[in-house]
Amino acid sequence: MSMKSVTGSVYEWVDERLGISELAAFARHKQVPVHSQSFWYYWGGISLFLFLVQCFTGVLLLVYYRPGAEAYESVRQITFTMHFGWLIRSAHSWSANLMMFSILVHMFSVFFMRAYRQPREFGWLSGMALLGLAAVFGFSGYLLPMDELSYFATKVGLEIPTAIPWIGPLVANMLRGGPEVSEFTVQRFFALHVVVLPALFIPLLGFHLWLVQRHGNALPPSVEALPAEQRKSIPFFPNFLRKDLAMWIVALNILALLASVFPWSLGKAYDPLAPAPMGIHPEWYFMSPFEMLKLLGMIPWLQGEAGEIAGILLFTLGIVLWLLIPFYDTRKASGQKARAAHYFGLIAIFALLSTTIIGYLAIR
Amino acid sequence: MNYPFWEIPILGSGWVIGIIAIFHVMISQFAVGGGLYLPMAERKALAMKDPEMRAAWLKQIAKHSKFFLLLTGVFGTVSGVGIWFAIGLTHPEATSTLIHNFVFGWAMEWVFFLVELATVAVYYYTWDRIDEKLHLTVGWVYAGASAATLIIINGILAFMLTPGDTWISVAGTGQEASKFWNAFFNPTYWPSLLLRTCVCLSLAAVWALITSSQIDGDKEPALKTSLVQWSVKWLVPSFVAMPFLMIWYYFMVPASQQALLTLGIDTVNAGTFSTVTRMALVIIITSATIIGVAYFLAYRSPRDFNLSHALAVLLLALMATGAGEYSREMLRKPYVIGRWMYSNGVRVPYVSRINQQGYLKDSLWVYNNTSSYSRGEAIFRGECGSCHTMDGYRPIRQLLSGRDSENIRSFIVMLHDYKPDMPYRKFMPPMVGTTQDVSDLAGYLNDQVNPHK
Repeated sequence: MSMKSVTGSVYEWVDERLGISELAAFARHKQVPVHSQSFWYYWGGISLFLFLVQCFTGVLLLVYYRPGAEAYESVRQITFTMHFGWLIRSAHSWSANLMMFSILVHMFSVFFMRAYRQPREFGWLSGMALLGLAAVFGFSGYLLPMDELSYFATKVGLEIPTAIPWIGPLVANMLRGGPEVSEFTVQRFFALHVVVLPALFIPLLGFHLWLVQRHGNALPPSVEALPAEQRKSIPFFPNFLRKDLAMWIVALNILALLASVFPWSLGKAYDPLAPAPMGIHPEWYFMSPFEMLKLLGMIPWLQGEAGEIAGILLFTLGIVLWLLIPFYDTRKASGQKARAAHYFGLIAIFALLSTTIIGYLAIR
Repeated sequence: MNYPFWEIPILGSGWVIGIIAIFHVMISQFAVGGGLYLPMAERKALAMKDPEMRAAWLKQIAKHSKFFLLLTGVFGTVSGVGIWFAIGLTHPEATSTLIHNFVFGWAMEWVFFLVELATVAVYYYTWDRIDEKLHLTVGWVYAGASAATLIIINGILAFMLTPGDTWISVAGTGQEASKFWNAFFNPTYWPSLLLRTCVCLSLAAVWALITSSQIDGDKEPALKTSLVQWSVKWLVPSFVAMPFLMIWYYFMVPASQQALLTLGIDTVNAGTFSTVTRMALVIIITSATIIGVAYFLAYRSPRDFNLSHALAVLLLALMATGAGEYSREMLRKPYVIGRWMYSNGVRVPYVSRINQQGYLKDSLWVYNNTSSYSRGEAIFRGECGSCHTMDGYRPIRQLLSGRDSENIRSFIVMLHDYKPDMPYRKFMPPMVGTTQDVSDLAGYLNDQVNPHK
């Protein structure tokens, strides 16, 4: 029996039970549009790839990480004494940052292609929920090494929700496990980071991907306006998948380069009694909301406790407007509403970038 | 010592050589590989039976040769001269030693270099002007001359890592040039030459993909398919041989240098010299990716292979080459010429003499009766400045932060005593000089690290 016939019969055996050939036929028939803005289609895939890297490196870190009182010591061992521990940790931290970046690019490309319109509303909402969860992943993961910087940044970060009346202090205390950030906080953040968040994120991701499969890639309005015979497309399998995988490899190389050339280091162990060191700041993806709240607090009629609440409300209103865009920008043709949405997107980018820059300048 | 120090703040003088040299290597190795690619491609085209395909190939090769002439003839030559300027300024002692030993080698190289420059110009400007066979012969002469430059310079570069026992036995006697061939064909000569040859062939493929990616796959599918696929095949020697050559190279390097490769496995702690390991990882991952991308994107679907794909491959190749050159330079630590001259220009056998006479004895431009601070500064520049800056690359202020004056002094004493089990001995030269020199340097460094104490 030749090798070819052996693999052929194994394939038949598996196919009969799992229906692989149907799946392959489906993938071959599925088409992906090709146009001048196709580049933006890859960002969802890149985000997915980086999430897979997160899972893989996260599981490896889990083998040696010890939450609670020994948190700092275990991360010190991972970074400075274990074989390639630094590499796994650096890859985890860098891929987290790169994932946040690629999700943001993905979100804005979906926004400007108006890919949230009917029937893709759930795709938009689930995507936004994934972004929210990714941000919480980032916030909870940042504390886990328990070094000076992460301790004080978390302390400052957890003071923000306390401005919300009644439930604010309650939520903050529940997350901290008491009135102060301590080893109990690490324990809670750890549980959140490795159990609660993955349990929410993975099914939601499955739902999001299923929606992408169901509705296919959205066309930007300019391409949609073209007659059908002028629109180009390529089969998902193997053509698009091959390019998608190539982008994954590119992302892997960038990640490897960053992790190797700029490995993630570790600061001093935290000391709750010590004064906060200079330059405490949130991660770059939290810098903009942090700075926006700070700037809102500087408006004369928004000062004091009432002002803080008003600031948070104003900020929340902006996010709600952003979230609900599929429900008020509904027209297919690019008319007045589409133009308003376009400007809304540009203002959002401008606000994000400018407040981030202001935030970093303020640290200096 | 014998020469004033050229201080480059933030970047450090080492990186001035590094940047120019890495840039030069990327182009010069393309000049060697691409120099062989051109006549090989031309020969293949001339042997084609289909006249249309033959003409299309020749037209494309002519276009590629223009790109080749511009890149190698302008950027390659200018950066090559730049290396001479840079090494003369940053490492005068080492440059002097190399010139005294290899002046004959360099003379040979320059002859071949002139032939290279002349033939590449003739090759480009005589397309369709001279007989086809003669034109091809010009291409072969270029290929031979450029290969010869690699064969020669490789001997000098490999010498710096592994000068070999025979040369070391006569070093410092004035008879060094008598062992020219021993120094030239040193222990890492052959693995290094073969490794570089593989890199040259790969770079030929990578740059050829840049020009062939711009052929319109819809208008000229046959031309694009055949050229892209043929170019990708130039990566095969590297794919097959590189892992074995790297292992061979690794075993020819002295054990103390091999150890540098493993320092970064456990840690990324500052001052532990962990970069070589990390750079080696970059080489492995980028090289593996080039093979994958070239096979799936170029070889399997040549018609869709576009400029951005080709640029991605080029970027990866440049990263691999850059990381390779950086690692090779770092592997020499603590020497600039293995076992003979430390990376700060101090000759190994001179250490005890300098320890008795003082480091600044031969530094005629430094006032010996000046203040302790100034002497400390001069010693810092001379002994530390080849690898460290105050606040930029390998920043002393940061590396010594948290140490008080006593602690800084004991650190310098440790480097001065240079005991066999001292961990820094793996990659740092000893601090040389008298007890007064130790105090001057420690005092100067303390003033920088703890200015108000």
